[in-house]
Amino acid sequence: MHASPARPRRRALQLALGLVALLAAALPAAPATAAEAPTRDEYVSQLEQVCKPDAEATRRAMKGARSDIQAERLALAAEKFAAAASIFGGTVGEISLAPRPAGDEAKLAKWFGYLKAQESYLKRITAQLQADRAIKAQRLTARFIHNGNLANNTVLAFGFDYCSFKFSRYG
Amino acid sequence: MRPTRALAALLALLLVGAGAAAVAQGERTQHGNLIVALDGGLAPLTLPRDRPAPVSVRLAGGLQTDDGGLLPRVTRIELGLPGQGKLSTRGLPVCTVRRIANALPAKAVERCGDALVGSGRLVADVLLPNQQPFQVKARLLVFNGRVEGRRAMLLHGFARKPPAVVVLPFFLQRRHDGRFETVLVGDLPPRLGPWPHFAQFEMTISRRYVYRGRERSFLSASCPIPRRFTAGFFSFAKATFTLEDGRQVSTGIARGCRAR
Repeated sequence: MHASPARPRRRALQLALGLVALLAAALPAAPATAAEAPTRDEYVSQLEQVCKPDAEATRRAMKGARSDIQAERLALAAEKFAAAASIFGGTVGEISLAPRPAGDEAKLAKWFGYLKAQESYLKRITAQLQADRAIKAQRLTARFIHNGNLANNTVLAFGFDYCSFKFSRYG
Repeated sequence: MRPTRALAALLALLLVGAGAAAVAQGERTQHGNLIVALDGGLAPLTLPRDRPAPVSVRLAGGLQTDDGGLLPRVTRIELGLPGQGKLSTRGLPVCTVRRIANALPAKAVERCGDALVGSGRLVADVLLPNQQPFQVKARLLVFNGRVEGRRAMLLHGFARKPPAVVVLPFFLQRRHDGRFETVLVGDLPPRLGPWPHFAQFEMTISRRYVYRGRERSFLSASCPIPRRFTAGFFSFAKATFTLEDGRQVSTGIARGCRAR
């Protein structure tokens, strides 16, 4: 069966109308996306709201970890590091979804890279403590602190408080 | 100059340069356009696990703006040190403000040298009306002292250009509500005038002395970690600056020690 010559023309018209409709739908969306990009201050405020309760929860979760390590209760310390890693992972997951200020994307991408590494260090410290490998946990802690400082330097100008790395939160 | 000596001199210069750069680095936090920096460390790094040993503490820090703007005036500086450090003044001679006020460094050392516990430097931005800001660099001498019956460290600052001597008492406080139990609190009084704005400091505190036949140290510390670990990490210091508008800006640093 062959289609009549009018049918492809109608199909082309339908396609064109569909494209126009798509473009019409997309056009108002473009300025809306641009409007969604927050200023740096708005971004910091938004992230701090997420980080504040998590930073406080981390402090609570890590309470006594130092004493546990002093007393060689590595398994108990591992549980606290695991809780901290879980909280940290949740925070990073949540704040990574927030729209980023225009012009800060590269800096923030680098920062999130450091944050992912921080999460990884926390997990690896947990694993080493669980496995009773004190020296490996110690080495990873040194890297964790160094990486945290690098993360802070990357977004220094943002003036983060709860979203910045603070060694004092970890026991 | 022989090549080896020239190389040694160059290396020394590079090391000094690296040290100077470190003053402006360390851990930093930013509050608005104001960057607060703190750096420092303990020497020696390797310490006994179970008893304090003599140490020297180096601290360097200060304020800068990220846009080159003028620094706000600092009215108070607080330096917190961790509880595991021990500060001993037992048997150490005491200096008073009156003995070193208006004295050049050599005279101050002549009068209170037996109470000397450290040295360093201080940088302040001077903002005079209708003039370009300029920096004053002062040499610091730190003496064990007592002011109005309270234990203090007396910071004797001497600037060559313009010539000036200032003595600032930093009171020693013990606090039990945080991880920094020993706190040095120094007020920058209004009598310094509205023009000098504190910018940077660097000081090394270290003093060994003998009292009743026993060797003592102004500062001691241990590295209290279990046998299975070779190194530990701790909150080493915190600097808090109170600004003239009442705001407080601070930053803290973590450092490690090795156990022997």
